Amino acid sequence: MDESLQELENELKSLQPRRAPARWLNQINRELAAELPASTRPRYASATNLGSWKWLGWRTAGPAVALALVAAVGLVNLRRPVPSEVPALLAAAPNPVTPAAVPAYVPVTASNVLYDLKDEGAVQGEGEALARRVRARYVDTYTWKNPRNNASIKWTVPRDEIRVVPASYNPN
Amino acid sequence: MDCMEATHDHGIWKHWLEAHGPKLLLCARQWTRSLADAEDVVQEAFVRYWRHQRHLPGDPQALLITSIRRAALDHARRQARRTAREGKADGGLEERECTFEPQPGEDADRRHEIEAALQRLPAVQREVLVLKIWNALTFEQIGETLEIPPNTAASRYRYALAALRKELKPACHG
Repeated sequence: MDESLQELENELKSLQPRRAPARWLNQINRELAAELPASTRPRYASATNLGSWKWLGWRTAGPAVALALVAAVGLVNLRRPVPSEVPALLAAAPNPVTPAAVPAYVPVTASNVLYDLKDEGAVQGEGEALARRVRARYVDTYTWKNPRNNASIKWTVPRDEIRVVPASYNPN
Repeated sequence: MDCMEATHDHGIWKHWLEAHGPKLLLCARQWTRSLADAEDVVQEAFVRYWRHQRHLPGDPQALLITSIRRAALDHARRQARRTAREGKADGGLEERECTFEPQPGEDADRRHEIEAALQRLPAVQREVLVLKIWNALTFEQIGETLEIPPNTAASRYRYALAALRKELKPACHG
């Protein structure tokens, strides 16, 4: 190959193909993530495992809320002046609510929906390493149920998750 | 494959796609009518590859490019059938799009000039050029991908460069 063709070849090699759109990369990543069996998905992608540490707080949250409600009602009742004309009613009142009588809410489901995944660009990683910051936006939904009376509580929480992933540059 | 391995594997491919996606899109663009079509065929080919072929030995890029070409041909056939069915005239108009990433301090006019000259090349020469220059395939691999002898690939490459040299003035350095 003569020199001018070589020069042209080098000039062409110096051009970089246009960057792939983030929307397109996200779409493929979502498709790949959906291919992974649930047990092999990244831990951050799911809180559906009831054994997860995330449930530590949630497991106790239902009974705690119920206990707090009962305590508040009890306190209000204690402070309220008892009308003197209804002693008979008081005498006939049921026993005060004990913790054992608190309805036991147990967590039954947890799910999350990823509704946005955005590459926020390059950031400085640990040391000199380059990294990219990716923001994933989820809506988490937790449900508790009381098996005694089938009452349920549903809690929906928006959640942002920022991951910093090491970026590699391969000029070839 | 255990959980850690699968997650790690997913992460590796994610980064691989980020690094190689632009080259694959450029390549697919040679066989499709629009950038949107190119995105569709690369996505289709990549997900299929990831699902069934990612554990195969060999250069993933070369395998993927073959897969992308097939997906693009299928896509073109489907599109042609639809066009015929709907009785639409094929205007042959391609969207004007930037093929290369602008670089800091570059001569934008020169880049546009090269892009335009590339568009004017015969398709069979342009595809070889794209595979060789921006996807770094050997003539052997190009031959396998395009189902042509490696010598034909090499001569198409030389013709393409010669045609470009005729069209483009030499770059001014300094």
